[in-house]
Amino acid sequence: MSALEIKHLFGLRGVSKHDIRLILDHAKQFREILERPVKKVPSLRGMTVVNLFFENSTRTRTSFELAEKRLSADTVNFASSNSSVKKGETLVDTLRNIEAMKIDIVVVRHKGTGVPKFLADNSNAIIVNAGDGAHEHPTQALLDMLTIEEKLGTLEGKNVTIIGDIRHSRVARSNLWGMSTMGAHVTLCGPSTLVPRNTDLMNHVTWEPDVKKAVANADAIIALRLQKERMDDALLPSMREYRNTFGITDELLECAKDKVIIMHPGPINRGVELDSDIADGEHSVILDQVTNGVAVRMAVLFLLAGGRNNENA
Amino acid sequence: MKMRKPCKGRLSNVVLKNAKFWNGKSFELRNEVRLDACDGAETIEFDCNGALVMPALFGLGLDFMEPLRDDVYTFVDGFDAMRKGGFYGGLYESAANPIDDADKFTAMVNRFKSEEHGENAFDIKFLGAYSKGFGTDSLAEMVELAEAGVAGFGDGSAVIPHSRFLRLAMEYGKMTGKRFFFQPMDKTLRHSGCVHEGAYSDMLGMKGIPRIAETIAAYTVLETARFLQVPVHFKQVTCGETLELVRNARKNGIDVTCDVGLYHLLLDDSCLETLDSAYHILPPIRSAADRDALWQGIADGTINAISMDHTPVLRQDTVVNFEDSVPGALSLEVALPAIWNKLVAKVGEARAIELLSTAPARLACSEPAANNVVVLAPDRPHMVVESDFAGHVCNSPLVGKELPSSILGSFINGVWTEL
Repeated sequence: MSALEIKHLFGLRGVSKHDIRLILDHAKQFREILERPVKKVPSLRGMTVVNLFFENSTRTRTSFELAEKRLSADTVNFASSNSSVKKGETLVDTLRNIEAMKIDIVVVRHKGTGVPKFLADNSNAIIVNAGDGAHEHPTQALLDMLTIEEKLGTLEGKNVTIIGDIRHSRVARSNLWGMSTMGAHVTLCGPSTLVPRNTDLMNHVTWEPDVKKAVANADAIIALRLQKERMDDALLPSMREYRNTFGITDELLECAKDKVIIMHPGPINRGVELDSDIADGEHSVILDQVTNGVAVRMAVLFLLAGGRNNENA
Repeated sequence: MKMRKPCKGRLSNVVLKNAKFWNGKSFELRNEVRLDACDGAETIEFDCNGALVMPALFGLGLDFMEPLRDDVYTFVDGFDAMRKGGFYGGLYESAANPIDDADKFTAMVNRFKSEEHGENAFDIKFLGAYSKGFGTDSLAEMVELAEAGVAGFGDGSAVIPHSRFLRLAMEYGKMTGKRFFFQPMDKTLRHSGCVHEGAYSDMLGMKGIPRIAETIAAYTVLETARFLQVPVHFKQVTCGETLELVRNARKNGIDVTCDVGLYHLLLDDSCLETLDSAYHILPPIRSAADRDALWQGIADGTINAISMDHTPVLRQDTVVNFEDSVPGALSLEVALPAIWNKLVAKVGEARAIELLSTAPARLACSEPAANNVVVLAPDRPHMVVESDFAGHVCNSPLVGKELPSSILGSFINGVWTEL
C-alpha cells in the first residue's frame, strides 16, 4: 500500500505520476465494487465530508455525494444559495464554522481560482477541489483518464484532442496537466476567442486551429460544453456557426480514426458541441465517464483520508 | 539656513553622528550633523553607524481612506506610515471621496491639519477631481479648485472616461494651467480582469487585463493632450509599449510625464502562481519582460518618478481568495529599503534620490525642506512583519520577505522618529 504525496487535491498541475497512478488504480478497484449488488464499503465510516458548493452543480455534487455514501462517510451538503454566505459571511468564517462542527473533508466548488488552496491554508480539513473558476477540475480529468485507460488500455502514447472553449475550461486545464503527466499527447482546438492567448507555460501541448487536423490522429476526443453566455459576451457569433465549425459531427468523424472514443464532461448541448447521433453512438463513452466519476471520487476521498480500512476496499 | 520654529509637541533637535550625508551630489562621511526643529527643544543624539542620511521622500498616490473609511485607516495612520518610511510629503488622491469642489478641498485640508500638532508636519498636496463624483456626466469646479490650491486634476483610480468627456474635461481644465493625472486603463478592455493577461493568467484560468487596455487609453489621452495642448501625467505605467508612446509623444512636443509603481518594479506576474491575494494590485503586475522595460524606462529617463500608490485594505478584504479580494498594497513603510539598492545599482545615487524625492515632489508642486531627512542602513537586512505597518492593516506582498536595507529613523519637520 502506497500513500499519496499530496495532502489535498487542488488540481493536477504538479501532481506526480505516482499519485495519479495510485488514484487511477484505486479507482479501478472501486469501479469493480460499483458493479457488485452491495456497493458500499466501510472505508470512511466515522468520517464527515462536507460538500461546499458555491456554484450550482448537479452531477458533480451528486457524484461526490454518492462516492461519500458508498464509502460510508457521513455527508453534509452546503449550498451558498441558502446559506449564511448570502448574509455576508466571509469564506473563511463559513469554513471555520463548518470546521467547528468537527468535519474531516471538505469538497469545494467556487467561482474563484485558488479557493481550495485558500481554504486549506486557513483550516485543518482535507480539501478536495470540485472545480475552482476556470482553473482546475481535477476529479473530472481523473475520471476522463480512467475512462481512456478502461477503453484504450493505457494513456501512454495516446493522442487526446480537446475541442471547444479551452480558455474558460477548468476541465481542459486539469486534463492537459494530468494527461501529459501520464504520457498522453494532448492537442487543443477551439475558436480563436476561446483558446488561451498566451501558451508559454502550456507548451507541452499542441495547439491546432484546424479541427479536421486536430481530430485526424486522435485516439480520444473530448468535446467541451459551450456556455451560451459566450454569445452574449461577443466571443462567438452563433451556436449555429460554432456547431458547423467545431461541432463533433459524422462528417468530422470521417477525418478521425475508426476506433476513436468521444467524451464529454456534461451536460451536453446536443446539436452544438456534439450531434445527438454521436452522443448516443458507438464512439461515445459519455455514460462510462459518469460511472467512473463515482469510482474516481471514491478513490480520491479514500486516499486523501489516509487509506484507512484499506482492506475493506 | 536652519529652520527656527516655536517649539510644540513632539518637536526635537537631533544630532546625527557618524553618517554619510547627501551633499546634493554624493554621500560624504561626517562625524555629525545637527538638525534643529525649534528653540528650546530637547536635543537627541543618534549614532548612525555609517548609515546614509538622505533627503526625505515624497510619495505619489497616497490614499488614507478618510473620511469615508476612517474605520479602515486614518490620516494619523498615514502620517505614522510616512514617518516610518521617511516621507516628508505626498500627493493625496482619494479613490472613494472625490474632491470635486472647493468646499470639499477645504474640508479635506482642515481635516488633515486637525490631526497635526498645530502646524503642517507634512507637505500634503491634493489632486482635485475633474468630474463630479468620478462620473462622466458633469465637470468638477476646476477653476475654483485650482484657486483653492489643488496640485492638479485626476479622478483617483477611475478608468479613462469616454473620449468626449475626456476632451471636455481637459478643455475646461486647461484654463487652470494644471496637469491632468490619469491611470491609463480602458474600461471595456479591462472588462472583469484582475491580473495581467499573460502566460500565468492563462495557465491559472484567471481573467486578465491586456496591455492594450493601457496603451489604447494612453494613446487616447496623448492625442487629446496634443489636440488641446494640455499637460498630462500617467500614473503607474506597467508596460514598455506605454513608455514608447510617451517617448514618441515627447518628441512631438506633448508635455507628458509618467511614474511607475513601486511593486511594478519589484515583482512580475510569476507571483500569481502563489494565488496569494497580497499580490492583487491594480494596475496589474505584468510580466518579467514588462518589468525589464520599466527598469529601462527608469534608466533612460522616460519615467519621471516612482509612485507609492499606498492603498490600505481591510484585513477581511484581503483574507479571501485572490479574485474576491480588494486590490491594493501598502508601500510607504517599506519602499525605500525595498528598492534603494536596486535603484542605485541601476541609475546611481543622485537619480535614485530624484526618482523618490525631488521628481515626485516637482510633479505635485512641492518644495522640499532641507532639514527633512531619512536614515537608511543600505546593507542591514530587515524582515518585514505585520507590525511594521501603521494602522490596523498590513496588506503588502512584502510581509514575511527580507528587505536588503533598513530605515533607522527619519527627521520630518522637526519630529525625530527612531525605528
